[in-house]
Amino acid sequence: MPDTTQQITVCDATLRDGSHAYSHRITLDQVRAYAAASEAAGFDYLEVGHGNGLGASSLQVGESLVPDDEMLRTAKECLSNTRLSVHVIPGFATIHREIDGAIACGVELFRIGCHCTEADITQRHISHVRAAGLEAWGVLMMSHMAEPEVLLEEAKKMQSYGAQGVVLMDSAGAYFPVDVTAKIGLLEDRLEIPVGFHAHDNLGLSIANSLAALDAGARIIDGTAKGFGAGAGNAPLEILAAVLGKRKFSTRIDLYKALDAGEIAAELFAGSMPESNSITIVSGLAGVFSGFAKPVRRAAEQLGVDPRDVFFELGKRKVVGGQEDLILAVAAELAKKGGIK
Amino acid sequence: MKPIEQLIRNDAVQVLASGSKDLSDLKSRHIFITGGTGILGKWLLELINLLNEDNDYGIRVTVLSRNPRSFITLYPRLGAMPWLKLIEGDIRHLSELPHDVSHIIHAAALTDRRLFASQPGNVADVNAFGTLRLLRAANLLEDIRKFVLLSSGLVYGAQPWETAQIDEKFAGPVRSNDVNSVYAESKRFAETIAQCAVSETKLPVVTLRPFAFVGPYQSLQLPWAVTDFIRDSLAGGPIRIMGDGTTVRSIMYASDFAHWVLAATAAGKPRETYNIGSPEPISLISLAESITGHFNPAPSIHTGIGQIGHDRNKLVPDVSLAMKDLGVKVTVPIGEAIRRSVEWHRLSQI
Amino acid sequence: MKIRKLPVAILGTGNIGTDLLIKVMRSETLECVLFAGRNLSSPGMTKASLLGVPVSAKGLRGIIDMAHEISLVFDATSAADHMEHAAVFEKLGIRAIDLTPAKVGRMCVPAVNLDECLDLPNVNMITCGGQASIPLACAIAAANPQVQYIETISTIASRSAGPATRINLDEYLLTTENGLSVFSHCERTKAILNLNPAQPCVHMQTTVMAKVEDPDISATRERVLEMVERIRHYVPGYRLIIEPIAESGRLVTMVGVDGLGDHLPKFAGNLDIINCAAIAYAEAYANRLE
Repeated sequence: MPDTTQQITVCDATLRDGSHAYSHRITLDQVRAYAAASEAAGFDYLEVGHGNGLGASSLQVGESLVPDDEMLRTAKECLSNTRLSVHVIPGFATIHREIDGAIACGVELFRIGCHCTEADITQRHISHVRAAGLEAWGVLMMSHMAEPEVLLEEAKKMQSYGAQGVVLMDSAGAYFPVDVTAKIGLLEDRLEIPVGFHAHDNLGLSIANSLAALDAGARIIDGTAKGFGAGAGNAPLEILAAVLGKRKFSTRIDLYKALDAGEIAAELFAGSMPESNSITIVSGLAGVFSGFAKPVRRAAEQLGVDPRDVFFELGKRKVVGGQEDLILAVAAELAKKGGIK
Repeated sequence: MKPIEQLIRNDAVQVLASGSKDLSDLKSRHIFITGGTGILGKWLLELINLLNEDNDYGIRVTVLSRNPRSFITLYPRLGAMPWLKLIEGDIRHLSELPHDVSHIIHAAALTDRRLFASQPGNVADVNAFGTLRLLRAANLLEDIRKFVLLSSGLVYGAQPWETAQIDEKFAGPVRSNDVNSVYAESKRFAETIAQCAVSETKLPVVTLRPFAFVGPYQSLQLPWAVTDFIRDSLAGGPIRIMGDGTTVRSIMYASDFAHWVLAATAAGKPRETYNIGSPEPISLISLAESITGHFNPAPSIHTGIGQIGHDRNKLVPDVSLAMKDLGVKVTVPIGEAIRRSVEWHRLSQI
Repeated sequence: MKIRKLPVAILGTGNIGTDLLIKVMRSETLECVLFAGRNLSSPGMTKASLLGVPVSAKGLRGIIDMAHEISLVFDATSAADHMEHAAVFEKLGIRAIDLTPAKVGRMCVPAVNLDECLDLPNVNMITCGGQASIPLACAIAAANPQVQYIETISTIASRSAGPATRINLDEYLLTTENGLSVFSHCERTKAILNLNPAQPCVHMQTTVMAKVEDPDISATRERVLEMVERIRHYVPGYRLIIEPIAESGRLVTMVGVDGLGDHLPKFAGNLDIINCAAIAYAEAYANRLE
């Protein structure tokens, strides 16, 4: 049994992962309204920005309506106990342009992510954040694609660079609870820093997987209001709040306010709340980044192919997050092969 | 076919028929073998020959050898295999591999105990830095599917007497500031160097830790217990054992050894380490008796030749992990292994 | 009639330098008269010796000692080293092709600005993504002068990205973005780099996306196809994967780059394209001296 007297850190990624679900068009008014709700709910961190993090506004992934720094400053104004965090992927974001810019906006936690086998590209970014006196965690994305031992080795690299926590992301929503137990369990056992899990709901397992992570010793858990996130969405925070409370895990969460935050998000982003559909299910099965759902649907429509075929083909090619450009190539190839509906 | 060739062919047929995890991943592949002219290398070539001839595996092999001409002279049948290419070179000066190599079996090492004493620096150089050189070359390959590192059961240091078998997690002490540790330390460092490549470039390394073995193609000039005993028996005896004969070893037959290595090349899990050897313990005195039993008159066995007070020791692996992951088993029990080895050495003397 | 080949040296005997050596040896206009580095027992040195190429372990000193016999040097060391080397080469009158990110000399993309670089003492080969994307960006900008924004995304095999690349991702991004801006005259640019660990290794792929109001697709297509042909003269493995199309409000085109597999593996098109560009420059320089 896990030690429930230890404090669980709850990260609210609504205004970052939700960006994928909202085609990166989140407005400052929405940031303000939701940040206040998150603060009230007692979540420890609120992550804000483009779906792929700092500097990721692009034709490749999608252009943000509002620049990073405006979103961050606006969110910061609404927060006091809840700390402001950002997602950073080296290869998209640079240290001097994006990270220093975010530091100036008052960001307190930088979650430096990379594809789960490439931790050494985070070395300079993590070191820079730590040298600036701020908090840095490592994030291993698409972590369903690597064996537990590989994840441990990569997480240890991040720990050695100075990361103060490491989060496994199930970016494709492809985990089963048994995978979570094995991977989180190994990391928890062998790392000095706290371990976290970030679920997606493509196979309907986001809460089950989050709970498996906590039971295996995770001290950090990610979620979004009503699951507002890429693909089929994340672990819904309001449900996590209920489950954490029922299981007597120790958190700062105010249950009613967390439930309210879910309702507020549902109103703010009405019409864009994620839902399970054939594309998100196939995305989870194929183990492809959840954020590909919208661009795959677009490309499949334009080129007249079945989006599910596109997902399975992308899965076969083991694409990583950031390879959205390959969607078009794959869809075009399928169209040429006569995969027309 | 000469009787001596028939003997090996029968062994190869039998061991491949014993089944293992699928070897089919090796079909049409190009295997690069270092140390391919030693006993393991020759047996690997025999098994691959059978897979190619009888099962159309289409495996190509390149063997790096310091002296390929002498190999071809001594073993013209093996040397003439159409799918085999021998290249001359020292692993320490290797600059690149054939670009289409898909599997590497790194068996080259200085394993002669006499060299540990006379040229310990060379042992360290070849075993550790030769491995580093090979790993770097492997990283330039188009599609490297497996890098099999032959380490040694000696990396475990001393096995506690009360432990029946040592498994892969066991870590015994090796004294680093001792020239007598050079072989074990060179193998330990080679393992660590290989793990660096795993961490840096995700090279699919499988580490094997072989224990003792016996069989055809084994040189009787090596000062190991089993080779000593066979050589002395062929010479009419006596067999001389330094201690009281209670020291415990386990000995695997060469066809099994090569088959396990081949199975690891096809199906070994990257990053994993496997003990390779027989899990069946045998004391030196029983070993000596099982050898002399094949001679008439049986050579005498003298024990307690050496100074008293030397500890008996033991080296027996737990091989359940290899059996599970590779689907292999020991097909030739120790008694039969000895019988076949003695027969081969008799025939090769004719 | 035997043509006298241009005598060149390669400084730096790592994988890049060794691959360059193979390419120089195949060239009809170049001859490697010195392969210089620091470690005589490195794999590259071993290979050069076996190929009968003169080698030196004295590094820059080796070049200086033979300066009168060397017309051009490929510098495949590091940015910090090239900063020092550049002044020495210039003083010695040796043409320098800089394969490091030192950015001492003019950026050169043979398909775009070869001629204007031939009179310069030092040229820089930018980045792999730059070599792959800048020509496409130029083609797009030429067909669509109203272009507002250009972006390039490259995906390379993890195994083709060594420790130096990994630690210098930011420099890669900024240098590539700068190259895109300078060559295409489009002020707003962005570069993205992905590392993909899949086995077998993925070959380099580069996409260029642009924001253009009312893009002229047929003119873009014509320019891009013509540019791809021009690049294929010196990078045979450069191939179009997606012809220019307008999709979701963006102009998109994508190429793949297969390496020649000389010393570096074929999947490392990212390393190969820089070496091919460097050879293209050296050969053009040799031909002009003819």
